[in-house]
This record gives sequence, structure tokens and C-alpha cells, in this order.
Amino acid sequence: MINKINSTIGYKKKLLKELYKDKFLFFSILFSILVVAFFVLLPLYNVFLESITFKGQYSLQNYIDSFSRSGNITIIWNTLKLGFVSSTLSLIFGFIFAYATSYLDIKGKKVFDFIATLPIISPPFVVAMSAILLFGRVGLITRGLLGLRNFEIYGFHGLVLVQVLSFFPIAYLMLVGLFKNIDPSVEEAARDLGASRGKVFSTITLPLMLPGIANAFLLVFIQSIADFSNPVVIGGNFTTISVKIYQEGIGNFQLGVATALAMILLTISIKIFVLQRNYINKKSYITVTGKASRARDLITEKNIVRPIYYSLIVLTAFVFLMYALIPIGSFVNLWGVDYGFTLKHYKYIFDFGTTPIYQTTYLSVIATIITGIASMIIAFLIARKEFIGKSFLEFTTIMALAIPGTIIGLGYVISYNVTYNIPFTNFVVIPTLTGTAFIIIMAFIIRNLPVGIRSGISSLQQIDPSIEEAAQILGASSSTVIRTVTIPMIKDAFFSGLIYSFARSMTLVSTIIFLISAKWKLLTPAIMNNIDTGRIGVASAYCTILIVIVSLVMFVIKLTLDFKKQELNNE
Amino acid sequence: MKKLKNLLISSVTLLLIACGGSKEPEKTFTFYAGLQDDHAAMIAKEFQAKTGIKTDYVRMSSGEVLARLKAEKNNMTASVWYGGPADAFVAAQAEGLLEPYKSKEDQYIPANLKDPGNYWTGIYVGYLGFVGNQKMLAEKGLEMPKSWNDLLDPKFKGEIVVAHPGSSGTAYTMVATLVQLMGEDQAMEYLKQLNQNIRQYTKSGTAPGRMAGQGEVTVGITFLHDAIKYKKEGFTDIIISAPEEGTGFEIGGVALLKNAPNPEAGKMFIDWVLSKEVQELGKTVGSYQFLTNSNANPPEEAMQLKGTKLIDYDFDWAGNNRVRLVERFTNETNTDIPQK
Repeated sequence: MINKINSTIGYKKKLLKELYKDKFLFFSILFSILVVAFFVLLPLYNVFLESITFKGQYSLQNYIDSFSRSGNITIIWNTLKLGFVSSTLSLIFGFIFAYATSYLDIKGKKVFDFIATLPIISPPFVVAMSAILLFGRVGLITRGLLGLRNFEIYGFHGLVLVQVLSFFPIAYLMLVGLFKNIDPSVEEAARDLGASRGKVFSTITLPLMLPGIANAFLLVFIQSIADFSNPVVIGGNFTTISVKIYQEGIGNFQLGVATALAMILLTISIKIFVLQRNYINKKSYITVTGKASRARDLITEKNIVRPIYYSLIVLTAFVFLMYALIPIGSFVNLWGVDYGFTLKHYKYIFDFGTTPIYQTTYLSVIATIITGIASMIIAFLIARKEFIGKSFLEFTTIMALAIPGTIIGLGYVISYNVTYNIPFTNFVVIPTLTGTAFIIIMAFIIRNLPVGIRSGISSLQQIDPSIEEAAQILGASSSTVIRTVTIPMIKDAFFSGLIYSFARSMTLVSTIIFLISAKWKLLTPAIMNNIDTGRIGVASAYCTILIVIVSLVMFVIKLTLDFKKQELNNE
Repeated sequence: MKKLKNLLISSVTLLLIACGGSKEPEKTFTFYAGLQDDHAAMIAKEFQAKTGIKTDYVRMSSGEVLARLKAEKNNMTASVWYGGPADAFVAAQAEGLLEPYKSKEDQYIPANLKDPGNYWTGIYVGYLGFVGNQKMLAEKGLEMPKSWNDLLDPKFKGEIVVAHPGSSGTAYTMVATLVQLMGEDQAMEYLKQLNQNIRQYTKSGTAPGRMAGQGEVTVGITFLHDAIKYKKEGFTDIIISAPEEGTGFEIGGVALLKNAPNPEAGKMFIDWVLSKEVQELGKTVGSYQFLTNSNANPPEEAMQLKGTKLIDYDFDWAGNNRVRLVERFTNETNTDIPQK
């Protein structure tokens, strides 16, 4: 017994010692933990404190109120139902797209890839807006084309449609990265031994993809239940928890009940997260020995390719239609009334609305760079290193995703409207941050870090650590291993992470509603305001500009990536 | 590694520049705007041009302003709250977020359009009413509703849209109006019945007007000046009416915030926006409310509402009972909301 304790202590000591020796490792861990403590835990703690405070005293009254109000149980059930249906469908769509672009011999892959990434480059509520323009009571399709008079887009089905369109790209991006990392030789060996395509798919490809699928499901589920803007725009009488949080906290001035509901939502997300993590961690998925050794022989059998291809075309046409409406809407006088061409919406923006465009882009670029690097370092630490506080770091960074944006934003305002001193001195550790660019950048980073970390971890889980260990044994430091071995292997995940963070920062709504200030104005609140007051044309014009900016950045990142590939090939 | 390190260093530097750059210089003035974006932008621009004080604003719904003021209690970043319904100002005053200020324009503002303790002063008045879509009404063979009672007609099942009082000041004005008109229990009974005709509760108070304009819905309940604005912008099928039993109204207010960073500019601003000239500027950006300054001429677009029967709306009462009434509304109507 004593021996066992001694050996555990010895092990921990050894870990600590190694940590000290490797300065890069030590400081990255320290820095990560500090960031998480101040920008995830502290705001959350303050929100929690608010939820158990009733009339200045500690009390569970807010929770009792939350549960006893008629309708709230239905609302919790609604939220779960929505999350389950949306993430299942998103996963199916994402999987079909990813499978088709990686495995099938089909034309137009670039188009499909573009279409699948399109929904992340615009704010989600824009899809909702398009859906109303297409399928509302005076929608182009419902009324114009089909002559329907009473079709109802508001509600559960409209919300599912919109959420799937907004979230399936997350699943796609994750899955496509994983498909690319599967070494085709395993599958081909099975084929050579006489296994059918179906058998290879169900016994090799699918099991290899399981962690990725589970991760994608988790991500979409959490996004779906925390989503605020779509349910507000198109949910109709179908209320979800995050809308209720907004109604209680902002409309009803009942911060206590709002924070209590937020804690309930958070609990659900965390439960799902824990469930998924335990399931995946029990199995080992190490199958890939570095990079895929060569290109895959693409599937050409018509009976497989055709049905997938056609369903892909239908989906693509649909997504395309949703997005085509936005630029079109920006040149139309008044939707539903006067379809004449006009440039007046752009003129309106250039007359007095360009500040949000510049400022959002500027802050997003900064946040993206930091998020990209930080998420890969943290993913590496979590997937590859043993250190004290590892599970803390993993849990809290991922958990940030499960916190509804409104609550993070409110948590920031409550927490960072004061200064933090070193106890008993006047030395300020953290100045007042509300109203500064810093707090907005931090919000962007914290919102996007989890996705980057998760995709980093999933890619790393597919790569056998022995490669990196070999490098380490040969004397390379952690930083050298990351740079020369790990990063090249997870480069795709890294760059798709960059694109994703940038797009998400540009389009974030709920968190930053609380953080914008007179000095720092952002695009999404400007768009929301214009939708709110019925200026669909101006809102569409802003969105078009937003989509152009994000596409440009995406293009630049992809170009850099291709350039790098060529560089490597030349070496 | 060098590349990575450089990238890291440069991004941290960028971050530092970004925060350093945001340190506000002393002589700026910030207000929270509860009215429409173009109105706020115009006012900010004009005030800056007139005084030379660098003026910024953030536009938020009244609930958002209130939530933010509560959070910023100890470190106000704005000096003035400009625009937004009076009952939200009453709620803010109850939380100790406002600073009383008696403007030099005060003498021109009628007593029923401002707070007796000078915590807030009215800048405009808007009437609550119905906005219908002519085409949709004709198609359904319906008459434009002219009274609260008309709205209960089963023929309107699924044809009416109003915002939810939980998120919209406009919708709360409706609830408070009905309670003051009929008494609380009867008003709740009325709202329960009305609930059966409601197609959807929206988040924003102006959305019903737009939806009626687009023909997304047959009748909306909203502030009529918003409907006039939509009609002017091209939604030509819009028709409006005010309930004959009497209707409630909103007073848009302006108030100085407690612990404001630049109170002198705040006071100057309040004097300025209450003046006849500045109130009359509203119509240039599509704000067609009646004005509070007795010397100011209301926009001609608002004149069609002149004979409207108004109830004796009690703002203090409305503000102080908000939480309770919204809760009761939510509980009573929830039982009937179709959960699809």
C-alpha cells in the first residue's frame, strides 16, 4: 500500500520535474489555465452566484421558480427534442457531404465543398431570414410558386430546417478532416481479401469514424440547444431554454431566474459531454500511422455513386437557393412588395454604417490568430501530455461551448466591470475591461477555442503518438515536436479551425450583444437591428458584405495552405 | 519554432495594441439609445457637430439597456439613456440607476409627460393600435378591427401577431393598457381569449407592423407611428386603426444616468434633445411620434391619429407592476399556447 502511494507520489514528482525542464510546456500550461480561470470560470461563478441569490440572500428560490412555472418543463423538453433532431440530421448531411467529397469519384467536389462551408460564413439568423422569405406566408416558394395560403414556417420544423442548414457544416468540416486521415491501405487490404464495399464501410471506415461522429454530434447538439438567434427569428411559439433565458433576463428583468435556467441548460450540456467522453475514451482508435500514405482509389461503382450524387445535388441546390436570396435581397427595393433593382441599401451602409464592418474584421482577425495557435497547443497538451490539471483544462475549455452565449456575455459584464487588485494592495491585476476591445476579443476566443481544441484532439487521436515519441526520444523538445511532427500532421484541422474561428467571430451574436460599446460596434448587432426594424434590404446588404469578407479570408488561408503544400513537395 | 514564436508574439502585441487603443479619451460623450438606429445616428452626429464633443451611442432594446445598466452600476460607461418607454425608466429609477435632472426646457413639457421627481423627461408620445394588411383582410373577407373586442372574433383565429410582453415594451404597454381599462382579472381573461387568435408572439415590438406590411400576417398590434413609418417605406397595403374603447400610449424618455462619466455633457445633451428644433428633427429619419415640447409641431404624418381616445395611462403603476403582470400573463397564456 505504502509502496503504491510512494510510487504515485514519485510519478507526480516526475511529471512536475519534466514540466519544469520543458519551459515551453510549463508556460503553455500555466497560461492556458490562467486564461480559462479568468474567462470561463470566473464569469460562470458569478452567474452561478447570481442564480442562487434571491433578494440579497442565498436561496434556491430562483430554481424553484424556474421549475414551478407552467411551461418551463415543456420548454426544457422542447430544447432537448430540437437538439436531438437537429444534430442527427446535421450529422447525416455532413456525413454524406464528407463521404462523397473524400471517397467518391464525382465531378464538382469543389462546389460541394464550397456549399458545405457556406453556412458558416453567415450569421445563422440569416438562414432563418431566407427561410421566411422563401417559405413564409408571402414566401417566394410557398405563395409565389405553390400558391399556398396557410403554410406555417414558424415553429419546430422551420427551426430544425434552419438549424440543420447552419450546423451541418460543423459536422462536415470535422468529418472531412478525419476521412482524409484514414489510410486507404487498410480499406484496400480488406477489399483485396474479398470484402464488399458495404462490408468495408461498416467494419472499417465507420468504426474508425466513430469518435469523429460522436464529437460532431456533441458539438452540433450543444450548439443547437444553446442557439439563441434562430429560435428568436423563426421559433414562433416553440420556445427553447435560451430564448427563455433572454426573455427572463432581458425582457422580464429577472436575472435570477435567467441564470437559474442557464445553469439547467449548462447541466444538460455537461452531462452529454461527459457521457460522450467516457464512451470514446474507453476505446482506442489509433489506426493511422502518420499521414495517409497515398491517395485513395475513389469509388466509381454507379449503384453507390449515383444515389449519393443526386441527393448531394438536391441538398446543394437547396443551400445555394437559401444563400442566393441574400445578395439578391440586398439589391431589391422592398421584399414581398417591390422587387425593383436598387443600390440604396448599400448607399445607406456607406453613408453611416461602415464602422461595424472595419471593427468586426479587425477584432476577428486578431482573435482568429490567437485562437488558432492556442487551440492547437491545448489540443496537443490534452491529447499527448500528462500533467496535473489536465482534466481540469480539458473539461473547462470544452465546457465553454456549452455555456449559452448570452450568459457568457452577461457574466463578462458582471465580472469585468470592476478592477481586480492583488489582495491588500492597490496593484491592479486586471483593469476594468467592459467597453474595451480586449473583452470582445476574449469572447471571440473563448467561444471558438472549444471547436478548435476538439477538432485538434480528434485528429491527434487518429495519429499514433509513437511518431512523436520517437522524435522526443531522439532529443527534440516539446516545441520542436509540435512544430516538425504534430503540426504538419494536423495541419488540415488547424486551417479549417482558423477558417471556422474567423467566420464564427464575424458572425457571433448572443455573447457580444452585451459587450459592444459605443467605441466598438459589431456587425451582427447592426444586422439584427435592421432585421428587427424591418430593413431587410439593409440587413441583406450587410450580410453580403460580411460573406464577401469571410470568403476573401477563407480564400487567402486556402491559398497559403496550397502554397505550403507545394513548398513541401518541392523540398 | 521561431515562426510560431513570432506569430505568438505578434498576436499578443496586436492584442495589447487593441486594448491600449480602446482607452477612452476624457472628452467623449456616450448615450444608450432605445429608439431606432438611424434616429440615434442622426442625433449623435448633430450633437457632435453642434458642441464639438465626440459623441458615441449604442442602440439596444429597453430590456437590454436596463440589464446593462444594472451590470454597470458601479462603473457607468454611458451618461444618458435616450429613447425607450417610460415604464422602463421607472424600473431603472427603482433600481437606483438614474440621477434626477431638471432641464431648462422643462417648462415646455406638460406635467403628465415627465417624472415628478425629474428622474426622466418625455421626448415623444406614441399610440398603441392595430395595423392591418388591406389585401390580406380582403382575401379573408375580414373587416379591419376597430376595437379590442373585435380582435376576439373567432374569424381572426391565427391571424393576429403581437410581441411577447416578456421581451417587448410595446407588448407590455398593451397588457398594462388592458389591465387599466378592464381591471386585472378581466384583462387576463381577455388575453387568454385573445391568445386563441394569436398566430405568434414576436420578440420585438415593431415586428408585428412589418409582418403585417409584408402580408406575413393579417393584423398586428403595435405602436402606430411604426406602422406609419413602414407604410412610408413602401409597405402600401398597411392600414391602421386605434381601438375605440381607448388605447394606451408610450412616452419615450430621456434620463441622466447615475455616476455618469461626463455629466455636464449629459445635461447639455438632455437640454438639447428636449428643445423644439431637435424634437422636430425626428421626422426626417422616419420617427412619426407626437412630440412632448409644447412648442414643437408634430409631424404631419401623425395627424391622422389626432382624435384617438387615450386612457389615463399610469406609468408609475405600469413600471412598478411589470414583473408581476408579465409573470401572470406568461402563466395564464402558456396554458393555451399550442406547443408544436
